[in-house]
Amino acid sequence: MPRKIIRVNMKKLETNYEDLPEKYQYLGGRGLTSTIVAEEVPPTCHPLGPHNKVVLAPGIVTGTNAPSSGRLSVGGKSPLTGGIKEANVGTNFAQMLGRMRIGAIIIEEQTEGKDYYLLKITNDGTEFIKANKWVGKGLYEVYKDLRKEFGEKIGICGVGIAAELFGGNSGLCFNDPEGLPSRYAGRGGLGAVMASRGLKFIVVDETGAPGVEIKNEEVFKKGTAKLLKALGDHDVTKPGGALNTYGTGVLINIINENGGLPQRNFSRGQDDRSEKVSGEAKAEEIKKRGGVRPHGCHTGCVIQCSEVWTKPDGKDPVGVLEYESVWALGPNCEIYDLDTIGELNRACNDLGLDTIETGTTLAVAMEGGLADFGDGKASLNLLEEIRKKTPTGRILVNGTEFTGKAFGVTRIPTVKGQAMPAYDPRAIKGIGVTYATSPMGADHTAGYAIATEIMGVGGEADRLDTKKAELSRNLQVATAVIDSVGYCLFIAFAILDIVEGLEGVVESVNGVLGTSLTLNDIPTIGMQVIETEIKFNKAAGFTSLDDRLPEFMKEEKFPPDNEVFNVSDEELDSVFKF
Amino acid sequence: MPIQVRLYGDLRKILPQHNYSKGAPSVIEIDGTEIKLVSDIFKKIGIEESETSHIFVNRIFSGLRKKVKDGDGVAIFPKNMGLLYKWYFKKVEDNDE
Repeated sequence: MPRKIIRVNMKKLETNYEDLPEKYQYLGGRGLTSTIVAEEVPPTCHPLGPHNKVVLAPGIVTGTNAPSSGRLSVGGKSPLTGGIKEANVGTNFAQMLGRMRIGAIIIEEQTEGKDYYLLKITNDGTEFIKANKWVGKGLYEVYKDLRKEFGEKIGICGVGIAAELFGGNSGLCFNDPEGLPSRYAGRGGLGAVMASRGLKFIVVDETGAPGVEIKNEEVFKKGTAKLLKALGDHDVTKPGGALNTYGTGVLINIINENGGLPQRNFSRGQDDRSEKVSGEAKAEEIKKRGGVRPHGCHTGCVIQCSEVWTKPDGKDPVGVLEYESVWALGPNCEIYDLDTIGELNRACNDLGLDTIETGTTLAVAMEGGLADFGDGKASLNLLEEIRKKTPTGRILVNGTEFTGKAFGVTRIPTVKGQAMPAYDPRAIKGIGVTYATSPMGADHTAGYAIATEIMGVGGEADRLDTKKAELSRNLQVATAVIDSVGYCLFIAFAILDIVEGLEGVVESVNGVLGTSLTLNDIPTIGMQVIETEIKFNKAAGFTSLDDRLPEFMKEEKFPPDNEVFNVSDEELDSVFKF
Repeated sequence: MPIQVRLYGDLRKILPQHNYSKGAPSVIEIDGTEIKLVSDIFKKIGIEESETSHIFVNRIFSGLRKKVKDGDGVAIFPKNMGLLYKWYFKKVEDNDE
């Protein structure tokens, strides 16, 4: 039985099941979302108008017992960047779609009235249910309601108040295994695209699902066993390894020691106070409070970098505090208190906001005079402006660049309208090349040059060396493959170091699809995905001039290295030439 | 000004009276007159290379043979705080200078 596409027409309030076309048979995740968006969405359309679509697609191996493979891609034209977007999330929701043999959900058209809807998907079909009673409510309360109404085993995808405002900083929120609204396909404002169709929630009940069709069980088992061994052997991904012990927050002290952790709206790269919000500090507190660490964002993850952060009394769980979230809502705003950061992260989850874009928005708002740097209470109050849907809230919800313009700030750390995450490109040049050239806007996951640049110092991997086109290109291509297959990006640590792990990934895909792909096919697959995305952006009006970092980063020295971003335009333009 | 050594994660416990709060490193200051290389620091405080992942000398990722002198800052991270792609991995050593 082939995988299906569920096409959701919000104007007619009807769904149609289509067999996944032959041309899409070997696609999943980002490869599938970007291909569908490129084929079906006019590049010049208004992101919030009737012609845009939201596409959700699990990876090829998602829903199987392959380790750390519960990933979902969400695609569309981004209201934040104006270009194509793929936002990626780890959640049981993805695995449910995989097991129900749903290759993609395409949400199109717009409702004619002002009603919001919930789409329920079961193995027997779909149902639209009016969702107006949850409009204007925080997602922690709503997700409890939904689990009460539809059962605790459901998977939930939802958008919050930020999306009701059509904010460019609104994400799609998925439940974690505890039911908390803490797993986000956060970047690029795709929450607003879903809300602008009139769809507020998708609830999935996989009861009776047939499971992922595996064409060659023997090859699949052999591949997953190799990958499992690599993940278990590698220092970064094994039990008791860096991610398992400290989560992504392990990077706070490392990047701070390296001088690349942006403080005070990208003003300097080091501050001793950062240690107070480090992975070590967080792990110690979670243990003391009775939170959960390590923790998987989806069933079957062997890396388990996630966690459940709580208030000091061990109550009111927030969910995970990721490295980028802690940095954005913490040091970048000169806030060095984990409990304040935890409450800011809770507010983001509750409102349906991307934590990275929110933190950078707050820092720019502080620079614009809306609050003092370091003032956690004022930051929480600013997020309440979004909840109350005030004019100030409507500015903030549209992200860093919009807020900077509204308040006369010139130091705006964005590329293609999307804010940079937790690594300053002046101190770590290769990540700057990725920020500049990724079709997604400033996105660290698109080509994670950090591991090579911080840890490798020779030749092109020296973090201050400006010849980084090849490094960034190779990593962006590898990332596009991993995002399409459905594995967590963190398997890259193991499979790039241990060749059997990489073979295992390819064999697991061959097992599911019945294909004969080899290691040599990987670059081609990744390049095709990126080429599709860049073509969309070009048709949407992007040129090489959009592949640039903001002016202040080329001129303002960044302590303690006192470097500027001095990668040449020619080097940037050589990353992708089609 | 002595060499300042900052020990992170589980390495903090190596110092007999480590005095850290939350995520702070244990800090020890060592007179540079008796230290030439990073490996001398390891001997002095009693840690093995196999217990560590990253060593930064003045923010540069370094190996055991990297020269150090008074005024330098040396940050040492334990094995279970490593995040690296080994295939692209090269440390600055004394003989690279």
